Amino acid sequence: MIRAVAALALLALASPADALVLRDMLDREVALAGPPTRIVSLVPSVTEIAFALGGEARIVGVSDFCDWPPAARAKPRVGGMVNPSLETIVALRPDLVVGTDEGNREETFLQLRRLGIPVYVVHARRVAEMYDLITRVGELTGRRDAVASIVAGIRRRIEAVRAAVKALPAPRVLYVLWPDPLLVPGRDSHLTEMIELAGGRSITAAEPVSYVRFSIEAAVARAPEVIVLADHGSGASTAGRAAPEKWQTLTSVPAIRAGRLYSVDLSILHRYGPRVPEGLEILARMIHPEAFK
Amino acid sequence: MTPLVEFRDVAFAYARPAQRRARAFAFPGLSFAVERGEVFGVIGPNSAGKTSLLRLLTRVLLPQRGEIRLDGRRVSALRSWELAREVAVVPQEAPRPFPFTVEQLVLMGRYPHAPRRFFEDTEDAAAARAAMAATETLALAPLPLEQLSGGERQRALLARALAQEPRLLVLDEPTAHLDLRYQTETAALLRRLNSERGMTILLVSHDLNLAAELCDRLLLLRAGEIARVGAAVDVLEQGLLERVFGCRVTVDKSASGRPVVQLAYERG
Amino acid sequence: MTDARRLATALAALGLVLAGVALAALFVGSAGLSPSAVARALAGRAEASSVEAIVTLGLRLPRVAAAVLAGAALAVAGVGFQALTRNPLAEPSVLGVSSGAAFGVVLAQILGFQAGIVAALGVTVFAFAGALLAAAIVYLIATAPGGLAVQTLLLAGVIVGIFFSAAITVTISVVDFNRLSGVIHWLLGNLAPIPAASLALFAALAAAGVWLVLRHARELNLLALGEEAASQLGVDAERLKRRVFVAAALLTGTVVAFTGPIGFVGLIVPHVLRGVVGQDNRLLVPTSALAGGAFLLAADTLARSVVAPAELSVGVITAFCGAPFFVWILRTRSRPV
Repeated sequence: MIRAVAALALLALASPADALVLRDMLDREVALAGPPTRIVSLVPSVTEIAFALGGEARIVGVSDFCDWPPAARAKPRVGGMVNPSLETIVALRPDLVVGTDEGNREETFLQLRRLGIPVYVVHARRVAEMYDLITRVGELTGRRDAVASIVAGIRRRIEAVRAAVKALPAPRVLYVLWPDPLLVPGRDSHLTEMIELAGGRSITAAEPVSYVRFSIEAAVARAPEVIVLADHGSGASTAGRAAPEKWQTLTSVPAIRAGRLYSVDLSILHRYGPRVPEGLEILARMIHPEAFK
Repeated sequence: MTPLVEFRDVAFAYARPAQRRARAFAFPGLSFAVERGEVFGVIGPNSAGKTSLLRLLTRVLLPQRGEIRLDGRRVSALRSWELAREVAVVPQEAPRPFPFTVEQLVLMGRYPHAPRRFFEDTEDAAAARAAMAATETLALAPLPLEQLSGGERQRALLARALAQEPRLLVLDEPTAHLDLRYQTETAALLRRLNSERGMTILLVSHDLNLAAELCDRLLLLRAGEIARVGAAVDVLEQGLLERVFGCRVTVDKSASGRPVVQLAYERG
Repeated sequence: MTDARRLATALAALGLVLAGVALAALFVGSAGLSPSAVARALAGRAEASSVEAIVTLGLRLPRVAAAVLAGAALAVAGVGFQALTRNPLAEPSVLGVSSGAAFGVVLAQILGFQAGIVAALGVTVFAFAGALLAAAIVYLIATAPGGLAVQTLLLAGVIVGIFFSAAITVTISVVDFNRLSGVIHWLLGNLAPIPAASLALFAALAAAGVWLVLRHARELNLLALGEEAASQLGVDAERLKRRVFVAAALLTGTVVAFTGPIGFVGLIVPHVLRGVVGQDNRLLVPTSALAGGAFLLAADTLARSVVAPAELSVGVITAFCGAPFFVWILRTRSRPV
């Protein structure tokens, strides 16, 4: 009799909320009642990927920065990445919120969990992790079948670029994420891998952390042969706009002497998503124009 | 009759000369008494120790040797608010900034009578009113202290001290910043308090003539030691004053029979 | 009208204002709830997992409570600190405690929540540790053999504040770029819904600090006479200064630990209230507590509705109010402050 009661009690205690247990990209358990159908995405790249996979129907809310594809702008907005409006998120009745540890705050995740909303955190810093990310978004949005072709397409284009530049000597590349203070990608930044794939060698590849405040002197001393100035688009302030004139004065630098100073809007490269190959191709053309006649 | 205040062989020295004065200062061993109901004056050159003496009496400073007694009881054994019920100090001038009204200032004098009470009660209000009446400051009660003239401020400070209902009133340079008119007013007020209420008054002043007029006895301090103590006519003696103050003086008699000290200014 | 009666009247009036603002704040928000839905949730008649219940009771109510507590604590810290230093322009953030707490939090943010020690202790404890450290340093600098020198206190507070601000800047400059926005966001001061247990702790600490200042309110009045004169009236000046300093540091540190540095409340609220109830700290402390709560709550409600669904930091709103207010004080000092 007691065992029957105990068994019943156990059944009752086994809440339906544990019907689906996932592990996010920080290896934390995320317990869901079932496959998520109302997802709020606080990560622009996740939103992009979801749309590319055709899973946008399950996305019920996005951050203010989720601006690609244009259709994403039509989704309900929940605020910035750093301080989204908890109320707006709750009002959308999501069964899952997707966030990143690079741009969202842990505090936000804590608050959401406290309110009973599961949080799935992603983290992608390498191309390999990007494929993983696409796969996971496919799982979350119920578009597993679409993953393979998207991934294959990206792989193909990246391979094409790699093949084109494989045999060529890799020039020293300085990538300027932000001109003043000088911000460059370090060891942990995905841009460093991108530069490598594009057939270049980032002169700041060995710097620790993902983004480093670098001194112009040190940059000059390392004599880059190609300089890429990231232009943050028309939306950026004048401070963010690349100022090629400032760099033209550094005539000891090989890149300046050879006239290989490029300023281009590479914001598509700053986000891990289906447009990465595009950005990679542009980057490769700048570094190895001779390979892409 | 026990004197109201007794200093018995009080010794004190500032820890570091830099603390108050450029020169080191010490009371080697001070002994004197203030009788009930008298007006007692402490005079002497600057840094003779006049203000330090006050501070020792009110326990702002603690003697390193000797005792100070108030009505026979050791001052060191009293709680600070017990002492404040007996001894009230009228400072030289009002602190700045001082954002309170005269009435609020006077009511502050009631603190020692009930330190634990949050608000003052009707008894306190009555005592405050009486103090203001005695000093003719009732009309000034609702005004901010900072808006008053020097003389009015002085009377307000005196009212606060009276509100403490002390047995000993201590004044530190009561006429230091006052106009002539207020000086005489203040002197008259103090004399009235002494004669009508029997209030014992101890005043510190560098105005020798004011001290001579008001005080029953004087104590002349010099570098922490008593040069002389006694009636004004005995203390304000030309030779003694010249030695203590280091300047030429002459001593005459005023209309009331009290000594009048005049500086002999150097000519040429 | 006796002082006690005036206090009661002022408290009743301010209490009404506070209740009104609190109620209004519960009905404002970006979730788009109808007033009847909110009312339902407040009356306990909404289903526990409904949107209105979660938003009203789980988000808005704790946030309103946090705002009121923080505002009250900061205002009273301001009153205490101004009475202690006899300077009506003294602001609790000048104590250096805010910067110390902020440094503790920045350190915690940099170690990241994954690091075991930080997750275990929580950012709040780091903030407290920072606040304590700063307060201790300020106290030690300002304590001479003769006791706590209040003018040195102000200077010491400013210096310690500058030091920790510099430390924060250095720490930020080496922080991972991705964490940077989170750290900067915290430094602007934000009210967020605090979980119930933390809220209870916050309330307890704030109450302790407010009570400590309030019970010495009469003696703080006497401190205006000068320390020597106050002690001649029977006030233990050293003990008073110590206690009020500890209270102000406790109140400021508590607020910073839970909400980040929020400025100007401790300056504006006591000042405005002095014009209404006068200089007596016995009236100023309790009325500032209520008015401070109402003020910060109003500012926060504004902060989260003006650019909804995005949110401004409440520290931004108070600073925008504070700067012109400061100018106004300086220009209209016809009556003695």
